[in-house]
Amino acid sequence: MIEWLSDNAGMTGLLFFFSVFCGIVIWAFRPSQKKTIEDHKYIPLKGDEQ
Amino acid sequence: MNTLNEKPNYNDDIVKLFTIATIFWGIVGFSVGLFIALQLAFPALNFGEYLTFGRLRPLHTSAVVFAFGGNALFATSYFTVQRTCRTRLWSDGWSNFTFWGYQFFIVLAAIGYVTGITQAKEYAEPEWYADLWLTLVWVVYLVVFMMTLKNRKEPHIYVANWFFLGFIVTVAVLHLVQNISVPVSIFSTKSYPLWGGVQSAMIQWWYAHNAVGFFLTAGFLGIMYYFVPKRAGRPVYSYRLSILHFWSLIFMYIWAGPHHLHYTALPDWAQTLGMTFSIMLWMPSWGGMINGMMTLSGAWHKLREDPVLKFMIISLSFYGMSTFEGPLMSIKEVNALSHYTDWTIGHVHSGALGWVAFITFGAVYHLVPVLWKRSGLYSLKLVNTHLWIATIGIVLYIAAMWVTGIMEGLMWRSYDELGFLRWSFVETVQAKHIPYLIRAFGGLLFLTGALIMVYNVVRTIRGDTAGEAVQDMVHDTPQNNGQNAGQNAGQNAGEAVHV
Repeated sequence: MIEWLSDNAGMTGLLFFFSVFCGIVIWAFRPSQKKTIEDHKYIPLKGDEQ
Repeated sequence: MNTLNEKPNYNDDIVKLFTIATIFWGIVGFSVGLFIALQLAFPALNFGEYLTFGRLRPLHTSAVVFAFGGNALFATSYFTVQRTCRTRLWSDGWSNFTFWGYQFFIVLAAIGYVTGITQAKEYAEPEWYADLWLTLVWVVYLVVFMMTLKNRKEPHIYVANWFFLGFIVTVAVLHLVQNISVPVSIFSTKSYPLWGGVQSAMIQWWYAHNAVGFFLTAGFLGIMYYFVPKRAGRPVYSYRLSILHFWSLIFMYIWAGPHHLHYTALPDWAQTLGMTFSIMLWMPSWGGMINGMMTLSGAWHKLREDPVLKFMIISLSFYGMSTFEGPLMSIKEVNALSHYTDWTIGHVHSGALGWVAFITFGAVYHLVPVLWKRSGLYSLKLVNTHLWIATIGIVLYIAAMWVTGIMEGLMWRSYDELGFLRWSFVETVQAKHIPYLIRAFGGLLFLTGALIMVYNVVRTIRGDTAGEAVQDMVHDTPQNNGQNAGQNAGQNAGEAVHV
């Protein structure tokens, strides 16, 4: 297993990182979570902090 | 300690210290920069052993990147993490240690540069003993930041903190790998790196390009994501775009380093990899720039009224411009002309002066009245003067470097009909004299602008106001700012429902 991974490190690494990245994008842009995620942008403006 | 009348009791003393250090080292770094620009125009200015260009140049780069930029990142990250987590910075003692420890590192490194103690690695010149000390300071910085995040009262970690944390963690990794070396003895300042040959070159540029990517970009994007919305009184354009911006920047930047080693002993595939990732970086960079600028969507009039906001938006324009130019220069064919020329110097300065310094000036102008609890800045007119003097200075600087860079690049590759080089090296140097004077003048303007800022900041801290009518138009007062922010947040929440 380890030997196969090290022989194919370039391709497995590429596929791993690319799928993690795609997962993050899909997670962030789920239509159902649009409002929840976008609401976080008000954090710096909430409260009376300067 | 952590709360006062049930409100978070923020540690602003540490932010004040770092803000003062930012301004102080900025003036030092810009002055040395002006001096070495004059040395290039007038070689007679290379006095003695300690003040030659070769020794002062790393002093300049380290002073502006690590001293000015580094202190600005400490100040703004400590300020932002407290406000967005609504909790006090963890451990007054350890955060104080990061301040004095970091200043000690700067002084230790600077003494090494002028006395000729150097690893001779660009942006990593400090020798092993200074590197070890910085490692300790940096780990404490990480712990202070992480513990503050852990103590947060706000459930979500705001995106500016992601950028700050990405910057702190990646710089730690870069610093450790780049500086693995063996001292000659425990009493010697000299060390030898563990890496050699092309591996050493690759690690050098993996380090140095990610110093640009994570120190000068990710960290300062953290400033952008807090201070632009705060100053504009409006939330960032799209929070989901900021998440995409963060992850794509993190995933791509780390691979871009090999573009510094085109046409060298580095294997071709690695050069092409570096070029490809550099070109791909166009997308997150411009996505981030658009996200920052569109924060003002529907409130563009604020840009006319508030010169502090102007600093921030011009800085984003320079961010967009230099992140367009960078990928262009990473293309092998373009790099064949631009590499080793002044074009690179011009590119670096459009990023460093235009993006890094301008977003810092914007943040400093916002921070000083808040930290010292003043009703506003001493003079917004002086901020405007600073803005235009500095902008003209940058334009002169980078235009002069485009001219000299492309000119010398073309002169170096020019052959006569018999196949001999048409120009000797010294002829290319002579040809650059006038643009070098223009560059130095641009630097002088930039320094002058920064000195105006020093005056403005000192008068603000002393509690003076210039009594300008324009002052009323901008919500500088703590009370007004809070109200505006609240109103805007309400308004925007309403808009969001309609959408």
